[in-house]
Amino acid sequence: MGTRLFRCILTAAAVLAAVPVFGQGRGGYKPPEGPAPKLDGKPDFSGIWQRPYTPDMSITATNLDGKPYPPEKPGPAGRGQVDPNPPAANGRGGGRGGPRVLPFTEWGLKQWKEYDPVNGDYTGACLPFGLVRSMNSPDPTQIMQSKEYMSILFEQNTWFKVFPLDGRPHDPNKTPTWFGDSVGHWEGDTLVVDTTNFNGRTRLDTNGHPHSDQLHIIERWQRPDLGHIKYEMIVDDPKAYTEKWKNERTFTLRTDWQIMEYSCEENNKSLWEGRIKIPNYDSWK
Amino acid sequence: MRIALGILCAGFGLAISTLPLMAHHSFAAEFDASKRVTLTGTVTKLEWLNPHIWIYIDAKDESGKVSKWQCEGGAPNSLVRNGWTRESLKAGDQVTIMGSLAKDATNTCNASQVRLPDGRRVFAASSEGEGGSKGGEKQ
Repeated sequence: MGTRLFRCILTAAAVLAAVPVFGQGRGGYKPPEGPAPKLDGKPDFSGIWQRPYTPDMSITATNLDGKPYPPEKPGPAGRGQVDPNPPAANGRGGGRGGPRVLPFTEWGLKQWKEYDPVNGDYTGACLPFGLVRSMNSPDPTQIMQSKEYMSILFEQNTWFKVFPLDGRPHDPNKTPTWFGDSVGHWEGDTLVVDTTNFNGRTRLDTNGHPHSDQLHIIERWQRPDLGHIKYEMIVDDPKAYTEKWKNERTFTLRTDWQIMEYSCEENNKSLWEGRIKIPNYDSWK
Repeated sequence: MRIALGILCAGFGLAISTLPLMAHHSFAAEFDASKRVTLTGTVTKLEWLNPHIWIYIDAKDESGKVSKWQCEGGAPNSLVRNGWTRESLKAGDQVTIMGSLAKDATNTCNASQVRLPDGRRVFAASSEGEGGSKGGEKQ
């Protein structure tokens, strides 16, 4: 690549990194104020939620004590060494400073280094996003909660997830799935959702951070006020990572949005014309 | 057919930042961010379907030769939330598209900017950069 073009790409990257990260929709929206609604004495998470698009979970990743990981590429003037920011209350993404090096095991590092979506891109091929990438996606979700269940309706590819809130144990006889097996329980006003039994066929984020079929996700949901959800995702995968790590995010209530149908399959020219390939999952082992 | 490679440093950055990047799957699997195209011509069709809109264009080069191109845009739902509709661009409209070439050597691009002759941008959406060193836009 010519030096001039390479420098332009670096400049573009600098401009891009400096652009505040927006969620979807026009600027100027403010969520309603007030206390969080309750259902049977517990926070009710129902609503249509804007989430920060998270194509690279390492940017805002910290260990469980809140310490960020080393930057992949320390930049000039301290860029790359800035502590990651949690998303702002209006749902804007945060995490300036670029990607960071997660605490990979040897297997995890090999999976990370060898990942090349040119060889297979499952989300591009309309295969299920799975839980983590569905939570990372830029599209809104609608949560519908009852006393017994929470259902998350993902506009992303029109998928959904429903799970019980009664703290029951996981069913070991269930077949491993793309979204895993989730069970929720309450710890005070925090909903803790525990998910296991993933089929190992997804990646944690667009950039391809790996996980194994031993992935165990712990999510902690809080609704501090009417307009916001405080969300924490803990990644526990001893095959891929040497320690648990987490992302913290804020979701914003969008009273002006409706969930729309999203058929990934209806016109996936990129797949039909061969620019996107389905992964060879045997090579992921 | 000659392809105009637009390399404007600050403009390049702005072009990338308006890229409708709710792509949520890998850009780099399909497109080469270092291979830029600028296409000027007539829209022949707009496909307003998931997962991406597609703009079909008869692009004319400096010699007047016309070639057919297809360029991928953003996801329709995101565009609707930013005020765009399937009527925002019609067959017969004159446009300039700046984008990245597909890796499969066909006349296919990922559109980062779509401009009307008066300079107005179509389908510009609030967007986020594909962070990280793998799978997304090269940074």
